[in-house]
Amino acid sequence: MTQYVFYFLSFLAILSALMVVFSKNPIHSVLYLVLTFFAIAGHYVLLNAQFLAVVHIVVYAGAIMVLFLYVLMLLNLNVDAEPVKKNWVKFAGVLSGGLLMLTLVATFHKAETMPLIQDNPEIGVTANLGKILFNEFALPFEISSVLLLSAMIGAIMLSKKDTKK
Amino acid sequence: MGTLQAIPLNHYILVSVILFSIGVMGVLLRRNAIIIFMCIELMLNAVNLLMVAFSAHHGDGSGQVFVFFIMAVAAAEVAVGLSILIMMHRNTNTTDVGFLNKLKF
Amino acid sequence: METPISYVPILIQLAVALGFVVTTIIATHFLGPKRKTKKKLDPFECGIESSGNARVPYSVRYFLTAILFVLFDVEVIFMYPWAVNFKALGLTGLLEMFLFIGLLLLGFFYVIKKGALKWEDNN
Repeated sequence: MTQYVFYFLSFLAILSALMVVFSKNPIHSVLYLVLTFFAIAGHYVLLNAQFLAVVHIVVYAGAIMVLFLYVLMLLNLNVDAEPVKKNWVKFAGVLSGGLLMLTLVATFHKAETMPLIQDNPEIGVTANLGKILFNEFALPFEISSVLLLSAMIGAIMLSKKDTKK
Repeated sequence: MGTLQAIPLNHYILVSVILFSIGVMGVLLRRNAIIIFMCIELMLNAVNLLMVAFSAHHGDGSGQVFVFFIMAVAAAEVAVGLSILIMMHRNTNTTDVGFLNKLKF
Repeated sequence: METPISYVPILIQLAVALGFVVTTIIATHFLGPKRKTKKKLDPFECGIESSGNARVPYSVRYFLTAILFVLFDVEVIFMYPWAVNFKALGLTGLLEMFLFIGLLLLGFFYVIKKGALKWEDNN
């Protein structure tokens, strides 16, 4: 049962990721990316990372992709205005991406196939994550607040400019 | 306890690798800056998936905590990046990355 | 112990919700009468003839609000694990969270000071 769900989710994630890259309309790209995120959240549930699955949906599908949609509509890009690249550039892009994939897949394909053993199914619960976050990762936690602060200030500096004059 | 999941760890690695490569391909293929951003998000998510898979495999929650930090970084990146994009659109009236080539060597 | 199997009820609920929506949409598509006239298909704009594209670029202020929402959203996801462990973490956790919130409040005051959330002055 779990295998089928896994393969279905992987298939869905990869297919919609491909559609993100290859669809002409940017809005469709955003929607396919949301689909990919939902598939990845399903993977998290399979891996017993329940809290992370919910947070992933809230942050990525709920906030970040909405921001992307806002920008698309703000810039009025729903009309297809993207200039086409030359064919050889496209070919080179696909080739280099494909070669990267081939290399990595070949590398890990040969690796020893070990079944995923979940020693401790409780690691994904919120309480456990909180214990780790506030003991071992206290410093990165504080630094991430500085990061968010600087992002906030930077975003306002950048996009507030025209309303001044 | 050792609950055995029927899926080998390799398959998680393969899925992440494929998603990551699709992201790389998208960055190389498209010229629309917004799509490039989305492909970067895709790559970050491929890494996140791998991180969670390894964390489940080793029975260590640190990997999942790290995903939080990646999410924070992604949010910051998107906020600043999209602001830059809006400025770029305001000044050049396009989101084509080929347009900003003044810094090109 | 929670396993993915314990999520099957949620899955069933999701399937029922989605199934209901999809069935209703398809059923109305087939059951409802369809008499399309030009007047009926017109976008309605207070009786006068509609002009221009509906997709006009709007104010950057919506975008600023959305950005701030994303940043504070990420802040909130860090608070759930803290809230669950509030007793166990004790004073250290409280101080850590105070520092975190304090830094973000600094940003919030900056936002207020810059008037990024002000809506009235339209320039």
